[in-house]
Amino acid sequence: MQRDSFGGLRNLLWWAAGVGLAAVVLVAALSSGQDAATILSIFSTRFLGIFIEAAPFLLLGTLASGLIEAFVTADDIARLIPRNKFASPVVGAFLGFLFPVCECGVVPVVRRLFLKGLPMSVGVAFLLSAPVINPIVLVSTYVAFGVGPILIGRFVLTIAVAVIVGWVFAFSARPEHVLRPASLVPVMGGSSDVLKLTSRKSFGTGLREALRTASDEFFDMGRYLVLGTLLAATLQTLVSQDTLLALGRGPVVSVVVMQGLAFLLSVCSTVDSFLALAFVGTFTTGSILSFLVFGPMVDIKSTLMFNGIFKPRIVFYLILLPFLLTLLTGLWINLNLPL
Amino acid sequence: MDIYQNIPGLNLAPQRTSPQMWLKTVLLLGLGVYFIVVIGTGSLTNYINERFAWLSYVAAGIFLLLGAHSLYMVLRPEHAVGKDRSLSWGALSVIAIPLVLGTLVPSRPLGAESVDRISTSAAINAAGSSISQFEIDPLNRNVLDWLRVFNSVPDFAELNGQPADLIGFVYSEPTFPEDQFMIARFTVSCCVADASAIGVPAFYADTPTLTQGQWVRVQGAFQVGQFRGDVLPVLQVASIEVVDQPEHPYLYP
Repeated sequence: MQRDSFGGLRNLLWWAAGVGLAAVVLVAALSSGQDAATILSIFSTRFLGIFIEAAPFLLLGTLASGLIEAFVTADDIARLIPRNKFASPVVGAFLGFLFPVCECGVVPVVRRLFLKGLPMSVGVAFLLSAPVINPIVLVSTYVAFGVGPILIGRFVLTIAVAVIVGWVFAFSARPEHVLRPASLVPVMGGSSDVLKLTSRKSFGTGLREALRTASDEFFDMGRYLVLGTLLAATLQTLVSQDTLLALGRGPVVSVVVMQGLAFLLSVCSTVDSFLALAFVGTFTTGSILSFLVFGPMVDIKSTLMFNGIFKPRIVFYLILLPFLLTLLTGLWINLNLPL
Repeated sequence: MDIYQNIPGLNLAPQRTSPQMWLKTVLLLGLGVYFIVVIGTGSLTNYINERFAWLSYVAAGIFLLLGAHSLYMVLRPEHAVGKDRSLSWGALSVIAIPLVLGTLVPSRPLGAESVDRISTSAAINAAGSSISQFEIDPLNRNVLDWLRVFNSVPDFAELNGQPADLIGFVYSEPTFPEDQFMIARFTVSCCVADASAIGVPAFYADTPTLTQGQWVRVQGAFQVGQFRGDVLPVLQVASIEVVDQPEHPYLYP
């Protein structure tokens, strides 16, 4: 069966990731002239720092996902989404206000919504925009930057990029080309089964089902978070900030560097504004905005999590399209706006 | 009918409790207890900004809730709701990594050995804080407050003779003159992922007697001087004592 070849490929990827990580850790350990105990201590602190900060968001996301599975029917969502191909991704881009999840939590919710028969274009628009278009990130960005070009630019650009990528998927993607087999069946099989299953149930039963779904999803998504965090912590211990900052004043280079930094650091979207503050003095405005728009959409952590629901080719496009769009807007801002 | 029934990628667990189910329960409860221990022992401040501590309470609560529910289903499988999805040992062991690291490696904040690039300037908070660093009594200003003062005075000479009382760790690089070091801290906005090192330059004739990374309380007064080729206010050390690592090792901008 097809599933076996996929399982084999996935195993291979996990092994490659594991071996690659071990190699990076080894190089890091050998190149920094410090003893193993010190390196392990620093690494452990950096790893647990990200994990402890991210875990609650992942849990809230999986809990939201469980509650959606138990209590929200496909009909409820269908009522919110217009049928129009152009309009539906726009609605998807704003769904974050109804399902407030960050980048760690958005993937399980999106997978759950796909199982409910959500159109692909809406799911993708939601996936890319939800980490930013929600109340928490609105507040944290306001606290860091006040009302100004960064706050407004971040929200406008995020919606624009998410809607454009959503449109691309509306025209070209069918579920069987996009999703991994395990995520796929209920979508392909039509939504009738899903609808039957999710007819209203008692609150107690629904709640216990939600808890069960939440813990399953925590284990499903948690391993991507752990692996991504291992990688991010390793890179933080290995790559010197000076190396990156030396690259940083050119209108082109700075944008690419900040996008790379956003990808590598994998900092949660609720707090990346404060990190971006540290670069305001040294980096171009376009690059700061690219960091704040691109980072929540795509980083090491979310890439690994995307890999859990989408086929590899689609994961590639989900990285490439936001990358190019934020790169272009970042460049345009640097070259045309005197900010 | 179960939606998972026809999905080839998912196996239905046998009705009796599988060992994986037990491990899953142990991991959920273990992570819940780990979060409580981290909060209870105060080592949470080694990892994240205290402002976000409530998130860890949320995490502990949800972990324990999920763990308790999982335990109930393990002990009373006949009451289980829905079908169990069996998880591979691999997936479970990945989730065990934070628990293993958190339990086996002693918790320590980032210190002198993790400094990659140390800064002597700090951005002035635009919207974050309403209190100006100038309103703080000079003797109560911490390393971060002083760097903000450096950034906002038109002329460093205004600070000549101002007294300071600072706690930080000793940081020096091989290129520093023998009689100079830095009183350093890490600032953490969210968690250690965004930690950055900052420091106030200090002049102290007996600098060689200090140990790198050691926590100290330093009292003295500022005098404009040369540091790393820049003109900066340099703290002239009057007294220095070794202290315990503070309860909050990081400063929160």
